[in-house]
Amino acid sequence: MVELLAPAGNLEMAKAVVESGANAVYVGARGWSRRRDAYELSDGQLHDAIGIAHAGGAKLRVAINTNMQSSELPALLEKMEKFVAWGVDGAIMTDVGAIAEVHRHFPHLVIHASIGANILNNEDVKFYRDIGVSQVVADTKLTLRELAARRISGEVGIEVLIHANKCYTYLGKCWMSPYHRLERRTDDFGKDLFRGSPNRGGLDYRVCLEQWELYTGQELLESRIALKNDAFFYLDDIPPLIDLGVHCLKIQGREYPVPLVALIVRFYRELIDAYVSKPPERAFDLAPWRERLEVIQAERDARRRDTTLVLLNEARRPVPRRSA
Amino acid sequence: MQTFELNTTISNLRGLRETDLSAYDAVYMGNIYCRTFENNFLERLDDLRQGIAEVKDRGLRTYVTSYAAPRNEVLPKVERVLEVAASAGADAIEVHNLGVLRMVHEQFPSMPVHVGGFANVYTDAGASVLKEYGAVRFTPNYEISLDEVKAIADSVSLPAELLVHGKMPLGISDYCFLLEYEHKWADKCPTVCQKNLFLRQGDWAMKSVGKGVLSGKDVCMLEHLSALVAAGHRMFRIEAAYETAAYRGSIAKIYRAALESAAVGDGTVDELSWHTVRQHTAVGLCNGFYFGRTGGEYVGSQGEMAEVSWVGTR
Repeated sequence: MVELLAPAGNLEMAKAVVESGANAVYVGARGWSRRRDAYELSDGQLHDAIGIAHAGGAKLRVAINTNMQSSELPALLEKMEKFVAWGVDGAIMTDVGAIAEVHRHFPHLVIHASIGANILNNEDVKFYRDIGVSQVVADTKLTLRELAARRISGEVGIEVLIHANKCYTYLGKCWMSPYHRLERRTDDFGKDLFRGSPNRGGLDYRVCLEQWELYTGQELLESRIALKNDAFFYLDDIPPLIDLGVHCLKIQGREYPVPLVALIVRFYRELIDAYVSKPPERAFDLAPWRERLEVIQAERDARRRDTTLVLLNEARRPVPRRSA
Repeated sequence: MQTFELNTTISNLRGLRETDLSAYDAVYMGNIYCRTFENNFLERLDDLRQGIAEVKDRGLRTYVTSYAAPRNEVLPKVERVLEVAASAGADAIEVHNLGVLRMVHEQFPSMPVHVGGFANVYTDAGASVLKEYGAVRFTPNYEISLDEVKAIADSVSLPAELLVHGKMPLGISDYCFLLEYEHKWADKCPTVCQKNLFLRQGDWAMKSVGKGVLSGKDVCMLEHLSALVAAGHRMFRIEAAYETAAYRGSIAKIYRAALESAAVGDGTVDELSWHTVRQHTAVGLCNGFYFGRTGGEYVGSQGEMAEVSWVGTR
């Protein structure tokens, strides 16, 4: 049975998504995942999230998927030691070195290669398998045909994002945001938050969503260039993904309001259950599901527009100089 | 005695033949962004073989690069490029994709590997893993500071190659938005992406090459070369894959002279050099992330050039 993996940007969301039917929940360790620290959990909260998930029969994964500094690796291992002792079910990671180190120290911990690892081909999958990864998140740009080929690549599980952003660039291979603004700020626990760099754990200013003008020399060629960036919900692809035998369908959205995320999780739970329980000879009608999804999508789009405007405004603010 | 290496990237045979390579020690061959780039070495294997021969004839080292974001369908082509590189005597392969790294390690284990900037080396532990796969040098991810680079190089005993001048990569896509507009323009694919295109909004500017986004400003480490040499760095790249042959030739001469001075402890840069740099920048200068700041900032005496207005001098 395919696993439905849901986000939790706080404990209330963790509880809501478990109650809405998620099989697994992921949370970010504060300062160590690809989101603003407001949507990440302190160690104490992470402990409680594990309890909430397990009480509801769900697994809890921790995202520590930044490209940290070398000097931060010991702190990461200390954190992992705590999380493992508390019973965390897996770690979502990006940095090749951090993956290898965590695998060496905690050989039984399940490691998932994050979307930030930008896994594009079967050889990539083998590389990550070699260094200790047992499940990989497929890049959002991959086609169903490519995912089918991935299944053939063997013992590594495949996760597919079913609600996420499809950026103009490959995720994990983009630093447009910190090129425009990077604020180095250390939190109360000594972690550099790298605001402006999603790869390093800070927020992404989404500068790609600015309305760009295109020039050659001084000549204006186009006054409204929108770099493709779609926030998508999968619907038509859900049945074929289940048929392909992908291991996990993952919903992103730690930054959205709890009721909206709960609604998304409930929608996909019911969709998956309806599809897998239908008699094989009967066709599956997606029309009613499409209607439900349109309502959810309208609310998500409104939220996203607001968030993007806030981020683009923030990106123009001067960076305060760090005190020594 | 050769104490440092200055290199650059050239995408095709025309670019190779038009560029004055006299100030360079090595050339990376191929365009990592796009398969349809004009006569890309990575698609035209006869050109690649010929290019390798011509660069070797000049006594320079030849490196063959590889696609930064290859999907399954491209891997057979990558494999053929590797075969040509090996049989034609290339000195190293540059890899940006870890799957390709694994392929080189399995199929061409004696081929030295340079790990490229898109391979995301951020940590010493990461560099250490890649070294086990045959890496003999690494270009750090552009987001990390010089302090971090040095710590990695020292800890892993793996030399770093640094982008010292040119357009810093900011992102790579599978989608070329220029194709939506080219019907309106005189230039089309496969040359439209070479038309010095900039995405602008207010005082923001990025260079677009269709499937890639580069810094609008030129990374310039000219006045910081002494510090780089003092830190033990010896391999430097002029990143000019989408610049003119004149840019590649002129900027390299400035850096060669400055590196020779830096090697004997002289860090001064003459006004003529700055004048040339100024001539070859459209949006100004920056240091990338080398000093731990916003990538578009500039630290040093040429601060006023960090915010050159839209001069279009090229």
